[in-house]
Amino acid sequence: MSREAPFQVWQCQTCGELYDEALGLPEAGIPPGTRFADLPDDWYCPACGTPKSDFVLYEA
Amino acid sequence: MENLKIPVDLVAPVFAPQTFGSREKIQEIFTTLRRDYPLSIAEVPGYDPHWIVTKYEDIREITRQDELFLSADRSKTLASQYAEKMMRDYTGGLPHIFRTLVHMDEPEHMDYRNVTAGQFMPQMIKALEPKVRVMARKYADKLAAMAPECDFAWDLAFYYPLEVVMNVIGIPEEDHAKMLRLTQWLFTYADPDLKRPGSDPTDPGEIIKTWDIVYAEFKEYYDKVIADRRGCPRDDVASLVANGKVRGCPMEDRAMISYFAILSSAGHDTTSATTATSMWKLAEDPALLKRLQDDPKLIAGFVEESIRWASPVQQFVRSAKEDYVLRGRQIKKGDLLYLSYISGNRDEDAFENPQVFDPARSPNRHIGFGYGSHICLGQHLARLEMKCFWEEVIPRLKSLEMAGEGSMAESEFVCGPKHVPIRFEMTA
Repeated sequence: MSREAPFQVWQCQTCGELYDEALGLPEAGIPPGTRFADLPDDWYCPACGTPKSDFVLYEA
Repeated sequence: MENLKIPVDLVAPVFAPQTFGSREKIQEIFTTLRRDYPLSIAEVPGYDPHWIVTKYEDIREITRQDELFLSADRSKTLASQYAEKMMRDYTGGLPHIFRTLVHMDEPEHMDYRNVTAGQFMPQMIKALEPKVRVMARKYADKLAAMAPECDFAWDLAFYYPLEVVMNVIGIPEEDHAKMLRLTQWLFTYADPDLKRPGSDPTDPGEIIKTWDIVYAEFKEYYDKVIADRRGCPRDDVASLVANGKVRGCPMEDRAMISYFAILSSAGHDTTSATTATSMWKLAEDPALLKRLQDDPKLIAGFVEESIRWASPVQQFVRSAKEDYVLRGRQIKKGDLLYLSYISGNRDEDAFENPQVFDPARSPNRHIGFGYGSHICLGQHLARLEMKCFWEEVIPRLKSLEMAGEGSMAESEFVCGPKHVPIRFEMTA
Protein backbone atom coordinates (compact mmCIF):
# COMPACT_ATOMS: atom_id res chain seq x y z
CA MET A 1 0.00 0.00 0.00
CA SER A 2 1.29 3.42 -0.89
CA ARG A 3 2.16 5.56 2.10
CA GLU A 4 0.44 8.45 0.31
CA ALA A 5 -2.89 6.65 0.13
CA PRO A 6 -5.64 8.25 2.20
CA PHE A 7 -6.20 6.78 5.61
CA GLN A 8 -9.03 4.30 5.80
CA VAL A 9 -11.49 3.25 8.45
CA TRP A 10 -12.21 -0.41 9.19
CA GLN A 11 -15.20 -1.85 11.00
CA CYS A 12 -15.64 -4.90 13.19
CA GLN A 13 -18.46 -6.99 11.76
CA THR A 14 -19.45 -8.29 15.17
CA CYS A 15 -19.81 -5.14 17.25
CA GLY A 16 -19.39 -2.23 14.85
CA GLU A 17 -16.21 -0.89 16.45
CA LEU A 18 -14.21 1.31 14.10
CA TYR A 19 -10.47 1.28 13.58
CA ASP A 20 -9.44 4.60 12.04
CA GLU A 21 -5.94 4.45 10.57
CA ALA A 22 -5.52 8.19 11.10
CA LEU A 23 -6.17 7.87 14.82
CA GLY A 24 -4.54 4.51 15.51
CA LEU A 25 -5.31 3.12 18.95
CA PRO A 26 -3.06 4.94 21.44
CA GLU A 27 -4.68 3.15 24.42
CA ALA A 28 -3.19 -0.07 23.04
CA GLY A 29 0.12 1.49 21.99
CA ILE A 30 -0.81 1.75 18.31
CA PRO A 31 0.21 5.22 17.12
CA PRO A 32 -1.84 7.46 14.80
CA GLY A 33 -1.18 6.71 11.17
CA THR A 34 -0.86 2.95 11.60
CA ARG A 35 -2.35 1.20 8.61
CA PHE A 36 -4.79 -1.61 9.25
CA ALA A 37 -2.61 -3.90 7.14
CA ASP A 38 0.31 -3.18 9.46
CA LEU A 39 -1.54 -4.40 12.57
CA PRO A 40 -0.31 -7.83 13.65
CA ASP A 41 -2.29 -10.79 12.34
CA ASP A 42 -3.23 -11.78 15.90
CA TRP A 43 -4.63 -8.32 16.66
CA TYR A 44 -8.29 -8.39 17.66
CA CYS A 45 -11.11 -5.93 18.16
CA PRO A 46 -10.50 -3.94 21.35
CA ALA A 47 -14.23 -3.80 22.04
CA CYS A 48 -15.27 -7.42 21.53
CA GLY A 49 -12.25 -9.60 20.73
CA THR A 50 -13.26 -10.41 17.16
CA PRO A 51 -10.24 -11.37 15.03
CA LYS A 52 -8.67 -8.84 12.67
CA SER A 53 -9.82 -10.97 9.74
CA ASP A 54 -13.45 -10.11 10.51
CA PHE A 55 -12.98 -6.37 9.99
CA VAL A 56 -14.15 -4.86 6.70
CA LEU A 57 -13.59 -1.51 5.07
CA TYR A 58 -16.09 0.94 6.54
CA GLU A 59 -18.45 2.89 4.36
CA ALA A 60 -20.33 5.49 6.36
CA MET B 1 -2.45 -24.89 44.63
CA GLU B 2 -3.76 -22.38 47.16
CA ASN B 3 -7.39 -21.45 47.55
CA LEU B 4 -8.64 -23.87 44.94
CA LYS B 5 -12.03 -24.14 46.60
CA ILE B 6 -14.05 -21.21 47.88
CA PRO B 7 -15.57 -21.66 51.35
CA VAL B 8 -19.23 -22.43 50.83
CA ASP B 9 -20.41 -19.81 53.30
CA LEU B 10 -18.55 -17.14 51.34
CA VAL B 11 -19.79 -18.07 47.88
CA ALA B 12 -23.27 -19.52 48.51
CA PRO B 13 -24.88 -16.05 48.71
CA VAL B 14 -23.76 -15.45 45.11
CA PHE B 15 -26.14 -18.26 44.11
CA ALA B 16 -29.14 -16.66 45.87
CA PRO B 17 -31.30 -13.96 44.21
CA GLN B 18 -31.88 -12.20 47.53
CA THR B 19 -28.20 -11.33 47.92
CA PHE B 20 -28.35 -9.15 44.82
CA GLY B 21 -30.92 -6.95 46.55
CA SER B 22 -27.95 -5.37 48.27
CA ARG B 23 -25.39 -3.94 45.85
CA GLU B 24 -22.99 -3.33 48.73
CA LYS B 25 -23.20 -6.94 49.90
CA ILE B 26 -22.65 -8.47 46.49
CA GLN B 27 -19.78 -6.11 45.68
CA GLU B 28 -18.20 -6.91 49.04
CA ILE B 29 -18.32 -10.64 48.28
CA PHE B 30 -16.80 -10.21 44.84
CA THR B 31 -14.10 -7.89 46.14
CA THR B 32 -13.10 -10.67 48.53
CA LEU B 33 -13.27 -13.29 45.80
CA ARG B 34 -11.10 -11.23 43.42
CA ARG B 35 -8.52 -10.82 46.15
CA ASP B 36 -8.48 -14.31 47.67
CA TYR B 37 -10.16 -16.59 45.14
CA PRO B 38 -9.83 -14.91 41.72
CA LEU B 39 -10.40 -18.19 39.89
CA SER B 40 -11.55 -20.91 42.24
CA ILE B 41 -14.24 -23.53 42.54
CA ALA B 42 -17.61 -23.11 44.22
CA GLU B 43 -19.21 -26.30 45.47
CA VAL B 44 -22.63 -25.13 46.59
CA PRO B 45 -25.06 -27.90 47.57
CA GLY B 46 -27.61 -28.58 44.86
CA TYR B 47 -25.39 -27.20 42.10
CA ASP B 48 -22.68 -28.75 39.98
CA PRO B 49 -19.25 -27.29 40.82
CA HIS B 50 -18.57 -23.98 39.07
CA TRP B 51 -15.33 -22.11 38.53
CA ILE B 52 -16.13 -18.57 39.67
CA VAL B 53 -14.40 -16.28 37.19
CA THR B 54 -14.00 -12.86 38.81
CA LYS B 55 -11.22 -11.19 36.82
CA TYR B 56 -11.82 -8.95 33.82
CA GLU B 57 -9.08 -10.42 31.65
CA ASP B 58 -10.14 -13.99 32.41
CA ILE B 59 -13.72 -13.21 31.39
CA ARG B 60 -12.45 -11.68 28.15
CA GLU B 61 -10.13 -14.63 27.48
CA ILE B 62 -13.01 -17.06 27.88
CA THR B 63 -15.65 -15.15 25.97
CA ARG B 64 -13.56 -14.44 22.91
CA GLN B 65 -13.04 -18.19 22.48
CA ASP B 66 -16.54 -19.47 21.78
CA GLU B 67 -15.13 -22.58 20.16
CA LEU B 68 -13.55 -23.60 23.49
CA PHE B 69 -16.11 -22.30 25.99
CA LEU B 70 -19.58 -23.39 24.97
CA SER B 71 -22.95 -21.75 25.42
CA ALA B 72 -25.37 -24.39 24.17
CA ASP B 73 -24.71 -27.65 25.96
CA ARG B 74 -25.48 -26.56 29.54
CA SER B 75 -27.69 -23.92 31.13
CA LYS B 76 -26.29 -20.55 30.04
CA THR B 77 -27.26 -19.00 33.35
CA LEU B 78 -26.74 -20.29 36.84
CA ALA B 79 -29.08 -23.24 37.41
CA SER B 80 -29.30 -25.86 40.11
CA GLN B 81 -29.09 -29.52 39.19
CA TYR B 82 -32.82 -29.73 39.84
CA ALA B 83 -33.59 -26.73 37.62
CA GLU B 84 -31.45 -28.01 34.76
CA LYS B 85 -33.15 -31.41 34.94
CA MET B 86 -36.53 -29.66 34.82
CA MET B 87 -35.49 -27.74 31.73
CA ARG B 88 -34.45 -30.96 29.99
CA ASP B 89 -37.74 -32.59 31.02
CA TYR B 90 -39.81 -29.63 29.80
CA THR B 91 -38.04 -29.30 26.45
CA GLY B 92 -37.32 -32.88 25.53
CA GLY B 93 -33.65 -32.66 26.36
CA LEU B 94 -32.53 -29.02 25.99
CA PRO B 95 -30.68 -27.39 28.88
CA HIS B 96 -32.62 -24.14 28.23
CA ILE B 97 -36.23 -23.03 28.11
CA PHE B 98 -35.30 -20.22 25.76
CA ARG B 99 -33.01 -20.88 22.80
CA THR B 100 -31.87 -17.34 22.09
CA LEU B 101 -28.67 -16.10 20.45
CA VAL B 102 -27.18 -16.23 23.94
CA HIS B 103 -27.76 -19.99 24.09
CA MET B 104 -26.17 -20.90 20.75
CA ASP B 105 -22.68 -21.92 19.68
CA GLU B 106 -20.97 -21.23 16.39
CA PRO B 107 -21.70 -21.43 13.56
CA GLU B 108 -25.40 -21.45 14.43
CA HIS B 109 -25.09 -18.39 16.65
CA MET B 110 -23.68 -16.17 13.92
CA ASP B 111 -26.17 -17.50 11.37
CA TYR B 112 -29.03 -16.40 13.62
CA ARG B 113 -27.36 -13.19 14.73
CA ASN B 114 -26.85 -12.10 11.14
CA VAL B 115 -30.61 -12.12 10.54
CA THR B 116 -30.80 -8.79 12.39
CA ALA B 117 -27.18 -7.77 12.99
CA GLY B 118 -27.12 -5.23 10.18
CA GLN B 119 -30.02 -3.33 11.77
CA PHE B 120 -28.07 -2.86 14.98
CA MET B 121 -24.75 -1.65 13.58
CA PRO B 122 -23.84 1.89 14.71
CA GLN B 123 -24.51 3.50 11.33
CA MET B 124 -28.06 2.10 11.29
CA ILE B 125 -28.72 3.07 14.90
CA LYS B 126 -27.51 6.60 14.22
CA ALA B 127 -30.32 6.95 11.69
CA LEU B 128 -32.80 6.28 14.48
CA GLU B 129 -31.62 9.23 16.54
CA PRO B 130 -34.36 11.69 15.48
CA LYS B 131 -37.10 9.24 16.53
CA VAL B 132 -35.34 8.30 19.76
CA ARG B 133 -34.79 11.98 20.53
CA VAL B 134 -38.53 12.63 20.25
CA MET B 135 -39.24 9.82 22.70
CA ALA B 136 -36.51 11.01 25.05
CA ARG B 137 -38.00 14.50 25.06
CA LYS B 138 -41.46 13.07 25.72
CA TYR B 139 -40.17 11.17 28.74
CA ALA B 140 -38.22 14.19 29.95
CA ASP B 141 -41.50 16.10 29.86
CA LYS B 142 -43.23 13.26 31.72
CA LEU B 143 -40.54 13.43 34.37
CA ALA B 144 -40.94 17.19 34.70
CA ALA B 145 -44.68 16.73 35.13
CA MET B 146 -44.07 14.37 38.06
CA ALA B 147 -42.08 16.93 40.07
CA PRO B 148 -41.51 17.40 42.94
CA GLU B 149 -41.30 13.66 43.67
CA CYS B 150 -41.47 10.34 41.89
CA ASP B 151 -40.11 6.84 41.98
CA PHE B 152 -37.85 7.20 38.98
CA ALA B 153 -37.43 3.44 38.43
CA TRP B 154 -41.08 2.52 38.73
CA ASP B 155 -42.59 5.62 37.15
CA LEU B 156 -40.21 6.23 34.27
CA ALA B 157 -37.10 4.04 33.81
CA PHE B 158 -39.13 0.89 33.26
CA TYR B 159 -41.09 2.55 30.46
CA TYR B 160 -38.81 4.70 28.32
CA PRO B 161 -36.48 1.96 26.98
CA LEU B 162 -39.52 -0.30 26.68
CA GLU B 163 -41.24 2.16 24.35
CA VAL B 164 -38.12 2.68 22.23
CA VAL B 165 -37.42 -1.03 21.80
CA MET B 166 -41.04 -2.01 21.21
CA ASN B 167 -41.25 0.60 18.47
CA VAL B 168 -38.11 -0.79 16.85
CA ILE B 169 -39.52 -4.33 16.98
CA GLY B 170 -42.92 -3.14 15.80
CA ILE B 171 -45.14 -3.92 18.79
CA PRO B 172 -48.22 -1.70 19.28
CA GLU B 173 -48.43 0.47 22.36
CA GLU B 174 -51.36 -1.43 23.85
CA ASP B 175 -49.11 -4.49 24.24
CA HIS B 176 -46.11 -2.77 25.84
CA ALA B 177 -47.37 -3.38 29.38
CA LYS B 178 -47.67 -7.10 28.68
CA MET B 179 -44.07 -7.18 27.45
CA LEU B 180 -42.88 -5.40 30.59
CA ARG B 181 -44.79 -7.82 32.79
CA LEU B 182 -43.33 -10.89 31.05
CA THR B 183 -39.85 -9.38 31.25
CA GLN B 184 -40.14 -8.84 34.98
CA TRP B 185 -41.43 -12.35 35.57
CA LEU B 186 -38.57 -13.72 33.50
CA PHE B 187 -35.67 -11.78 35.01
CA THR B 188 -36.93 -11.21 38.54
CA TYR B 189 -38.85 -14.40 39.20
CA ALA B 190 -37.84 -14.29 42.88
CA ASP B 191 -38.35 -10.60 43.64
CA PRO B 192 -41.39 -10.06 45.88
CA ASP B 193 -42.44 -6.89 44.00
CA LEU B 194 -41.79 -8.04 40.44
CA LYS B 195 -42.36 -11.78 40.34
CA ARG B 196 -45.19 -13.60 38.64
CA PRO B 197 -48.34 -13.43 40.79
CA GLY B 198 -48.93 -16.77 42.47
CA SER B 199 -45.36 -17.94 42.05
CA ASP B 200 -43.45 -19.46 44.96
CA PRO B 201 -39.74 -18.52 45.01
CA THR B 202 -39.17 -21.00 47.84
CA ASP B 203 -39.93 -23.79 45.36
CA PRO B 204 -36.57 -24.85 43.84
CA GLY B 205 -38.34 -25.40 40.53
CA GLU B 206 -40.07 -22.01 40.47
CA ILE B 207 -37.55 -20.39 38.15
CA ILE B 208 -38.18 -23.02 35.49
CA LYS B 209 -41.94 -23.07 36.00
CA THR B 210 -42.00 -19.30 35.54
CA TRP B 211 -39.70 -19.36 32.52
CA ASP B 212 -41.84 -22.04 30.90
CA ILE B 213 -44.97 -19.96 31.47
CA VAL B 214 -43.26 -16.86 30.11
CA TYR B 215 -42.08 -18.81 27.07
CA ALA B 216 -45.63 -20.03 26.43
CA GLU B 217 -46.97 -16.46 26.74
CA PHE B 218 -44.37 -15.13 24.32
CA LYS B 219 -45.14 -17.97 21.92
CA GLU B 220 -48.87 -17.33 22.01
CA TYR B 221 -48.27 -13.63 21.35
CA TYR B 222 -45.51 -13.89 18.77
CA ASP B 223 -47.04 -16.72 16.72
CA LYS B 224 -49.65 -14.14 15.68
CA VAL B 225 -47.00 -11.49 15.00
CA ILE B 226 -45.00 -13.95 12.91
CA ALA B 227 -48.04 -14.89 10.84
CA ASP B 228 -48.88 -11.22 10.36
CA ARG B 229 -45.37 -10.20 9.26
CA ARG B 230 -45.04 -13.17 6.95
CA GLY B 231 -48.26 -12.17 5.27
CA CYS B 232 -47.52 -8.47 5.24
CA PRO B 233 -43.90 -7.52 5.97
CA ARG B 234 -43.30 -4.02 7.32
CA ASP B 235 -40.29 -1.86 8.01
CA ASP B 236 -39.63 -3.29 11.46
CA VAL B 237 -37.44 -5.84 13.21
CA ALA B 238 -40.41 -8.19 13.72
CA SER B 239 -40.63 -8.56 9.95
CA LEU B 240 -36.92 -9.29 9.72
CA VAL B 241 -37.11 -12.04 12.32
CA ALA B 242 -40.39 -13.52 11.10
CA ASN B 243 -39.05 -13.79 7.57
CA GLY B 244 -35.46 -14.50 8.54
CA LYS B 245 -33.74 -17.44 6.94
CA VAL B 246 -30.90 -19.43 8.39
CA ARG B 247 -28.88 -21.18 5.72
CA GLY B 248 -31.84 -20.84 3.41
CA CYS B 249 -34.37 -22.32 5.83
CA PRO B 250 -36.88 -20.78 8.24
CA MET B 251 -35.70 -20.51 11.82
CA GLU B 252 -36.36 -23.41 14.15
CA ASP B 253 -39.56 -22.64 16.11
CA ARG B 254 -38.16 -22.40 19.64
CA ALA B 255 -35.26 -20.31 18.36
CA MET B 256 -37.58 -17.90 16.57
CA ILE B 257 -39.87 -17.41 19.57
CA SER B 258 -36.78 -17.00 21.73
CA TYR B 259 -35.38 -14.42 19.29
CA PHE B 260 -38.50 -12.35 19.88
CA ALA B 261 -38.38 -13.03 23.60
CA ILE B 262 -34.85 -11.73 24.03
CA LEU B 263 -35.55 -8.64 21.93
CA SER B 264 -38.69 -8.02 24.00
CA SER B 265 -37.00 -8.48 27.39
CA ALA B 266 -33.25 -7.95 27.47
CA GLY B 267 -33.73 -5.32 24.78
CA HIS B 268 -35.14 -2.88 27.31
CA ASP B 269 -34.74 -4.24 30.84
CA THR B 270 -30.97 -3.80 30.93
CA THR B 271 -31.26 -0.23 29.67
CA SER B 272 -33.95 0.50 32.26
CA ALA B 273 -31.65 -0.85 34.96
CA THR B 274 -28.78 1.31 33.79
CA THR B 275 -30.94 4.43 33.42
CA ALA B 276 -32.28 3.99 36.95
CA THR B 277 -28.74 3.47 38.23
CA SER B 278 -27.66 6.70 36.55
CA MET B 279 -30.42 8.65 38.26
CA TRP B 280 -29.57 7.08 41.61
CA LYS B 281 -25.95 8.20 41.18
CA LEU B 282 -26.97 11.71 40.18
CA ALA B 283 -29.36 12.04 43.11
CA GLU B 284 -26.66 11.02 45.54
CA ASP B 285 -23.97 13.22 44.06
CA PRO B 286 -24.85 16.88 43.41
CA ALA B 287 -21.28 17.53 42.23
CA LEU B 288 -21.72 14.95 39.48
CA LEU B 289 -24.90 16.64 38.27
CA LYS B 290 -23.23 20.04 38.26
CA ARG B 291 -20.21 18.65 36.41
CA LEU B 292 -22.46 17.24 33.67
CA GLN B 293 -24.48 20.46 33.46
CA ASP B 294 -21.29 22.49 33.17
CA ASP B 295 -19.86 20.17 30.53
CA PRO B 296 -22.61 18.31 28.63
CA LYS B 297 -19.98 16.66 26.43
CA LEU B 298 -19.39 14.38 29.41
CA ILE B 299 -22.85 12.86 29.08
CA ALA B 300 -21.66 10.14 26.68
CA GLY B 301 -18.99 9.19 29.21
CA PHE B 302 -21.59 9.35 31.98
CA VAL B 303 -23.67 6.81 30.08
CA GLU B 304 -20.66 4.55 29.53
CA GLU B 305 -19.64 4.70 33.17
CA SER B 306 -23.24 4.02 34.22
CA ILE B 307 -23.15 0.81 32.17
CA ARG B 308 -19.93 -0.27 33.87
CA TRP B 309 -21.35 0.67 37.25
CA ALA B 310 -24.75 -0.98 36.79
CA SER B 311 -23.59 -4.13 34.96
CA PRO B 312 -27.21 -5.31 34.78
CA VAL B 313 -26.32 -8.79 33.52
CA GLN B 314 -24.74 -10.40 36.55
CA GLN B 315 -23.54 -13.64 35.07
CA PHE B 316 -23.43 -16.14 32.27
CA VAL B 317 -22.14 -19.69 32.46
CA ARG B 318 -19.92 -21.44 29.92
CA SER B 319 -18.76 -25.05 29.76
CA ALA B 320 -15.26 -26.04 28.70
CA LYS B 321 -15.14 -28.02 25.48
CA GLU B 322 -11.67 -29.28 26.27
CA ASP B 323 -8.95 -28.98 28.88
CA TYR B 324 -7.60 -25.44 29.20
CA VAL B 325 -5.17 -23.65 31.48
CA LEU B 326 -6.40 -20.30 32.77
CA ARG B 327 -4.60 -18.19 35.37
CA GLY B 328 -2.48 -21.27 36.12
CA ARG B 329 -5.55 -23.33 36.91
CA GLN B 330 -6.30 -26.55 35.06
CA ILE B 331 -9.81 -26.29 33.67
CA LYS B 332 -11.03 -29.74 32.64
CA LYS B 333 -13.26 -30.63 29.72
CA GLY B 334 -16.89 -30.28 30.82
CA ASP B 335 -16.17 -27.91 33.71
CA LEU B 336 -18.64 -25.06 34.25
CA LEU B 337 -17.40 -21.47 34.47
CA TYR B 338 -19.52 -18.75 36.10
CA LEU B 339 -18.54 -15.41 34.55
CA SER B 340 -19.22 -12.50 36.89
CA TYR B 341 -19.58 -9.34 34.85
CA ILE B 342 -20.20 -7.15 37.88
CA SER B 343 -16.93 -8.41 39.30
CA GLY B 344 -14.99 -7.94 36.08
CA ASN B 345 -16.28 -4.39 35.81
CA ARG B 346 -14.89 -3.54 39.25
CA ASP B 347 -11.59 -5.38 38.77
CA GLU B 348 -8.73 -3.40 40.34
CA ASP B 349 -6.31 -4.78 37.72
CA ALA B 350 -8.41 -3.57 34.81
CA PHE B 351 -9.73 -0.19 35.98
CA GLU B 352 -8.01 2.60 37.82
CA ASN B 353 -9.99 3.39 40.98
CA PRO B 354 -12.75 0.97 39.97
CA GLN B 355 -14.94 1.94 42.94
CA VAL B 356 -15.02 5.56 41.77
CA PHE B 357 -17.79 6.61 39.37
CA ASP B 358 -15.99 8.74 36.79
CA PRO B 359 -17.82 10.02 33.69
CA ALA B 360 -14.46 11.04 32.22
CA ARG B 361 -13.02 7.51 32.45
CA SER B 362 -11.12 6.87 29.21
CA PRO B 363 -10.75 4.36 27.81
CA ASN B 364 -13.69 2.64 29.43
CA ARG B 365 -13.53 -0.85 28.01
CA HIS B 366 -16.05 -2.32 30.43
CA ILE B 367 -17.74 -5.65 29.79
CA GLY B 368 -21.24 -4.48 30.67
CA PHE B 369 -22.41 -5.56 27.22
CA GLY B 370 -20.36 -8.74 27.36
CA TYR B 371 -17.45 -9.54 25.09
CA GLY B 372 -16.72 -11.86 22.19
CA SER B 373 -19.11 -12.77 19.42
CA HIS B 374 -22.02 -12.84 21.89
CA ILE B 375 -21.56 -9.17 22.75
CA CYS B 376 -24.93 -7.45 23.12
CA LEU B 377 -26.57 -6.91 19.75
CA GLY B 378 -28.46 -3.87 21.00
CA GLN B 379 -25.57 -2.08 22.66
CA HIS B 380 -25.55 0.90 20.28
CA LEU B 381 -29.30 1.40 20.59
CA ALA B 382 -29.01 1.28 24.38
CA ARG B 383 -26.27 3.93 24.33
CA LEU B 384 -28.31 6.14 22.01
CA GLU B 385 -31.42 5.87 24.20
CA MET B 386 -29.55 6.82 27.32
CA LYS B 387 -27.51 9.61 25.72
CA CYS B 388 -30.64 11.23 24.24
CA PHE B 389 -32.53 10.92 27.51
CA TRP B 390 -29.84 12.46 29.68
CA GLU B 391 -29.16 15.21 27.16
CA GLU B 392 -32.83 16.13 27.49
CA VAL B 393 -33.06 15.78 31.27
CA ILE B 394 -29.77 16.95 32.77
CA PRO B 395 -29.91 20.56 31.51
CA ARG B 396 -33.44 20.90 32.91
CA LEU B 397 -32.72 19.61 36.42
CA LYS B 398 -32.68 22.52 38.86
CA SER B 399 -32.38 20.37 41.95
CA LEU B 400 -32.23 16.66 42.70
CA GLU B 401 -31.91 14.46 45.75
CA MET B 402 -33.01 11.06 46.98
CA ALA B 403 -36.40 11.17 48.68
CA GLY B 404 -35.94 7.86 50.49
CA GLU B 405 -34.06 4.61 50.26
CA GLY B 406 -33.49 3.16 46.81
CA SER B 407 -33.73 -0.58 46.40
CA MET B 408 -32.47 -3.21 44.00
CA ALA B 409 -34.43 -6.05 42.48
CA GLU B 410 -33.57 -9.46 43.86
CA SER B 411 -32.12 -11.35 40.93
CA GLU B 412 -28.95 -13.31 40.40
CA PHE B 413 -29.26 -12.90 36.62
CA VAL B 414 -30.48 -9.51 35.33
CA CYS B 415 -30.60 -7.03 38.16
CA GLY B 416 -31.18 -3.31 38.53
CA PRO B 417 -32.91 -0.79 40.77
CA LYS B 418 -36.62 -1.31 41.31
CA HIS B 419 -37.18 1.80 43.43
CA VAL B 420 -35.35 5.12 43.07
CA PRO B 421 -37.39 7.70 44.98
CA ILE B 422 -36.28 11.21 44.06
CA ARG B 423 -37.20 14.77 44.97
CA PHE B 424 -36.45 17.22 42.18
CA GLU B 425 -37.22 20.41 40.30
CA MET B 426 -37.09 20.77 36.53
CA THR B 427 -37.62 23.59 34.13
CA ALA B 428 -40.82 23.26 32.14
